Amino acid sequence: MTVTLTIDGRQATVPKGTLIVEAAKQVGIEIPVFCYHPKLEPVGMCRMCLVTVGTPLVNRATGQSQLDADGLPIIRWFPKPQTACTMSVSEGMVVITDSQEVAADRKAILEFLLTSHPLDCPVCDKGGECPLQDLTYRHGPGVSRFDYDSKHHSAKRYPLGDLIVLDRERCILCARCTRFQSEIAQDPVLAIENRGRDARIVSYSNPVFDSHYSGNTTDICPVGALTSRDFRFHARAWELTNIPSLCNHCGVGCNTVLSTRRGQIARIMPRQNETVNEVWICDKGRFGHHFNSSPYRLTMPLIRRDGELVEASWDDALQHVASRLTSIIEAHGSDSIGGIAGACLPNEDLYLFQKFLREVIGTHNVDHRVGLSATFEDDTVYAVGVGTGTDLGRVGRDTAFLVIGSDLDQEAPILYLRVAGAARHGATLITAGGRPTKLDKQSNHSLRYRYGTATHLLLGMIHVILEANLTGNETVPHRVNGLNELRANVADWAPERVAEITGVPPDEIRAAARAFGEAKNGIVLYGPEGLGWGNGTQGTSWEAGSPLRQAVANLVTLTGFIGRPNNGVIAVLPHANSRGAADLGVVPDRLPGYVPAERPGLNAQEMLGGGVRALLVAGADPLAGVTLADELEFLVVQELFLTQTAQQADVILPAAALAERDGTFTNLERWVQRFDPGLPVPGQARPDWTIIRQLAVLLGADWAYATVGGVLAEMAQAIPLYRGMSYEQLSQPVSLSRRMSHYIYAGMSFQAEMREGMQWPALAEDGSAKLELDWLDPPAPPAEGDGFTLVAPRVLYDGGTLLGQAEILGTRLVQPHIALSSADAAALGVLDGQGLQVSANGQSISLPARVDGLVPQGVVAIPRNLKGAPAESLLGEGRIFSRVKVVKG
Amino acid sequence: MSLLAEHVLLRHRDVPHIRDINVYTNHGGYDALRKALSDMRPEEVTDVVKAAGLRGRGGAGFPAGVKWSFIPAGVKPVYIVVNADESEPGTFKDREIIEANPHQMIEGIALCAYAVGAQAAYVYGRGEFKGPFVGLQQALDDAYEKGFLGRNILNSDFSFDIYTHLGAGAYICGEETALLESLEGKLGQPRNRPPFPAQVGLYNKPTVVNNVETLTNVPPIVLHGAQWYRQFGTDKSPGTKIFCLSGHVARPGNYELPLGAPLRHLIEECGGGVPGGRALKAILPAGASAPILPGPGWGTGDILDLSLDYESVQAAGSMLGSASFIVMDETVDMVWAASKMAHFFKHESCGKCSPCREGTYWVEDVYHRLRDGSGRPGDVDLLLNIADQMDGNCFCLLGEFSVCPVRSSIQHFRDEYEALVKG
Repeated sequence: MTVTLTIDGRQATVPKGTLIVEAAKQVGIEIPVFCYHPKLEPVGMCRMCLVTVGTPLVNRATGQSQLDADGLPIIRWFPKPQTACTMSVSEGMVVITDSQEVAADRKAILEFLLTSHPLDCPVCDKGGECPLQDLTYRHGPGVSRFDYDSKHHSAKRYPLGDLIVLDRERCILCARCTRFQSEIAQDPVLAIENRGRDARIVSYSNPVFDSHYSGNTTDICPVGALTSRDFRFHARAWELTNIPSLCNHCGVGCNTVLSTRRGQIARIMPRQNETVNEVWICDKGRFGHHFNSSPYRLTMPLIRRDGELVEASWDDALQHVASRLTSIIEAHGSDSIGGIAGACLPNEDLYLFQKFLREVIGTHNVDHRVGLSATFEDDTVYAVGVGTGTDLGRVGRDTAFLVIGSDLDQEAPILYLRVAGAARHGATLITAGGRPTKLDKQSNHSLRYRYGTATHLLLGMIHVILEANLTGNETVPHRVNGLNELRANVADWAPERVAEITGVPPDEIRAAARAFGEAKNGIVLYGPEGLGWGNGTQGTSWEAGSPLRQAVANLVTLTGFIGRPNNGVIAVLPHANSRGAADLGVVPDRLPGYVPAERPGLNAQEMLGGGVRALLVAGADPLAGVTLADELEFLVVQELFLTQTAQQADVILPAAALAERDGTFTNLERWVQRFDPGLPVPGQARPDWTIIRQLAVLLGADWAYATVGGVLAEMAQAIPLYRGMSYEQLSQPVSLSRRMSHYIYAGMSFQAEMREGMQWPALAEDGSAKLELDWLDPPAPPAEGDGFTLVAPRVLYDGGTLLGQAEILGTRLVQPHIALSSADAAALGVLDGQGLQVSANGQSISLPARVDGLVPQGVVAIPRNLKGAPAESLLGEGRIFSRVKVVKG
Repeated sequence: MSLLAEHVLLRHRDVPHIRDINVYTNHGGYDALRKALSDMRPEEVTDVVKAAGLRGRGGAGFPAGVKWSFIPAGVKPVYIVVNADESEPGTFKDREIIEANPHQMIEGIALCAYAVGAQAAYVYGRGEFKGPFVGLQQALDDAYEKGFLGRNILNSDFSFDIYTHLGAGAYICGEETALLESLEGKLGQPRNRPPFPAQVGLYNKPTVVNNVETLTNVPPIVLHGAQWYRQFGTDKSPGTKIFCLSGHVARPGNYELPLGAPLRHLIEECGGGVPGGRALKAILPAGASAPILPGPGWGTGDILDLSLDYESVQAAGSMLGSASFIVMDETVDMVWAASKMAHFFKHESCGKCSPCREGTYWVEDVYHRLRDGSGRPGDVDLLLNIADQMDGNCFCLLGEFSVCPVRSSIQHFRDEYEALVKG
């Protein structure tokens, strides 16, 4: 339903409900704003957007417009100017924005705002890209009549949080920041205190400004009031070189801009991409870049001679590696070599890495599942991933989300914003987890299962959906094999039985299943805390994960939530390119494109456990806290830093970081996106893919890749999933020029122009493909006996290699601790902060207790990937749960 | 002396101790509620209030029955919020009702609740009403005990509760949407309208917001009917009104008069005139929130002939508002008086919208300059210009009204301003 109105004589036809300011934008008329932001609820506070509005006089009896003598509709003008940011359009409305009256009002508002403003533009970070400055030039008075000596003075350097500094004199109290925190981030930690000219922005949370999204407030601040601590007074906007890049801290694939100055990153800003990150990035992405300029970067190849690592030339180092590999292959065969690559590496590097091992060395001993990657893997999205064109930012009432076993606010923050936003726009949200998460506050159904029983819960939901015949009747009969077998198998899993195992009441299971099954579109996001126990009491993730993966795939398949936009599965994998690592066969049993390997090689555990004599490690730290197996003769590490693995290497090859090179990542929704180089490499570091290429050449391969684009071109030919992708298409130039028309409305994020990436289609999108409903019995959880279930959640600010270098986030890094319920704490006689002794697998660790009410009784949680890896040492690599003993002390 | 045989609102002046529930019931108290619950359908209560032409006494004068009829059917719960924030300078009528005749207000609230189907009412008082609210709570407790409030009122199906809440002392919280924000525990700042509180009010539910005095009018209207009520006042402004008289009069205080009574009666008969034979220089008819009306020697015609109803005061260039008449005699420095009001508005501006937040600050700054003896040529026009820049551009009426004393004092007493400007 559309509405036609006239703005300054121009006709605009826009959807009903559109605000005047947006309708004007569509016909090229820019109405100035400060408090209005398209992502926030309108408030009409700043009064900058005042316009003259009239509506046609309607005869109430006939419903027709009354006409004047000339046959034109009689317009009834509102007696006062109206705010274009709060008023919706209506049929026949007439809006005037270019009159002298409107110009006088704009000038008046600007003069008012500037009476309290310090006018310190010459030293203000916002200068040059400041809505207040720009709009003053365009609409404001040239001089102020306000007495300079009467200016209101306030704090110039108020630390609103660890990361954000507030200049209260520059603040124009538009409340964009407080509204962002309440509406978008769902962390209502900012507020306005006091009134009138004494009103000011405050945060009373502990720690102050406690939010993963605080940096976004500096982007949407229309003046220089909110600045980030690491950019404040460091550079002027016009001195910066802006490079399109991607965030490398999680799998969301947020589009960013590197703003560099003199070979250093001055700041990282979001780059608008409405299908990925809209105009936001999280604080980890914004402030975690400081590792690039760390003095601890590796800059020269190092060879171990007489037990010492000494600098060497690239030629010597690579020759050394080539000759050692050759001699080991000659002596022990190709399968005595193995490789582990981290899922932080770009696609091209991962592709060449596995190709090097498979084709140049001749082994399938290749894997990426170490560290966080060892906890969770996924192959369901190959068949039933969310349909291409999925846009979580635009789904609403007819869509249901099931988020199971994932704490999005910690694991994939921008995905959290988008799912919470969808819930705000009316989508049905079902959260299921072993503990409460932040997303529960937005959910319609919040299910709490016993750890290790998420699969059982899914079977209960499938049971209800089949019983109520909520299957996708259009798709399912034609496209699916195994429905009858599934029906027979799942008949045993009535909600009552599931309730006994999971602890979720049967009526809650039924209600959630119905809510999911009855929606028009369904999306499942699943994560590592949904995994089962595996065989016995400690399964590795890929054993424990199979029944969960199968149940997730079955759920979306039989409901018909497949093959269409806004339907299907998103696996919340840990790293920037975890999706790419799975796609490109960086696993021993699968070739690129989910093709099974005929003769699977050794997995990471087996390689590290002594299965190989030579090991190549690129961008991973699998030997953290682990000693070298005796069988390992030769270890080569490509790295940015002297990690614990690198310290044990025979040869270290310094690698270039993301900001120093180009390449592509594949995000959780299967968008393949490109990033550009923005910094010079430190010393002699090289991109990983060139190191691999040179090694291949030295070992006799005729690899002639000259550019990353050349590698992608081969991938596009060789791997059906990446068919049609080309570096040219992914590299279309991006215009990063600053447009006032963008930033006065949307904030400092860079406007999207081209380069949206390419998304590979899931199998289900091919209408002729048949889908299998396979059955895997869920492993029973162990009987609850003495002790506690130890879980190891992922946290945003962990102790990873890169994040540890960002000092600015130092106070936010999660310190090793053990979280437990207040009931268990009372039973153990321990208070928050006191020590607890945790024992499992012959290991015993002492950690301070945290009693934060976020862990259910009988469960203790130690976050994963913290400094010293306490959780991993208790669990063992790749394990999900363990029974542990906990005593005071 | 009075134009009324008996008070309609200030009944305690005729019936001693009417704040005692037994005295109140002995003099017809809660009969209106009894009548409504036994003989009237809810919409009939709204209809009689509409027919009586009762207009909101908080200041805007919007017909109360019409407001009630805006409550949508079928959306529950419905709330009533009683605005006892009474913070307009010179206004002290609601306080007297709460202190001396509380049951008539309580009965009015209950009648309103019955009419609109509300389950609960909140009486929101200004923070300084801590004392009066102790008595109010006693009255509420008594009404509960007698079965006029709570479950199954007077053995009917109608159940209804009244709660009291004190604000922290902010003028803006008398603005109905800011009051709702404050009542919800948020910063007291006004909301956008539409939606109006009748659709989206307290906790986003349909809400009637009425002034104390408005609701106190309801029991006699329901009991005696619209025609009886319309014997008082004018056709467009029916009923009686409490006029708060203060300033340079011999007997300041509250006076209940029929709307349309002459100003001369209020000031001379009720108030005993300006003391000491001094001349009446100016009148603020609605506290600080309306243009100043000049006295006979400073304006055209005799202001004392003014008829005290909404239409006539508006025609004279001001507003009746909450009818808080502040009288100023010839000794008053009008620049001083305007500067006091400028200070008030600057102090009370909530800061939500920029023209009010910055404009009131700026206006006060210019007044400081004038009063310090450092006024500059052009300052008077500057004040008028700042007022023009605020007028029509503010978020709510606080900012809009803040320019009234500035403009009207300059309009009528410009020479006093010019005398303060150097050069």
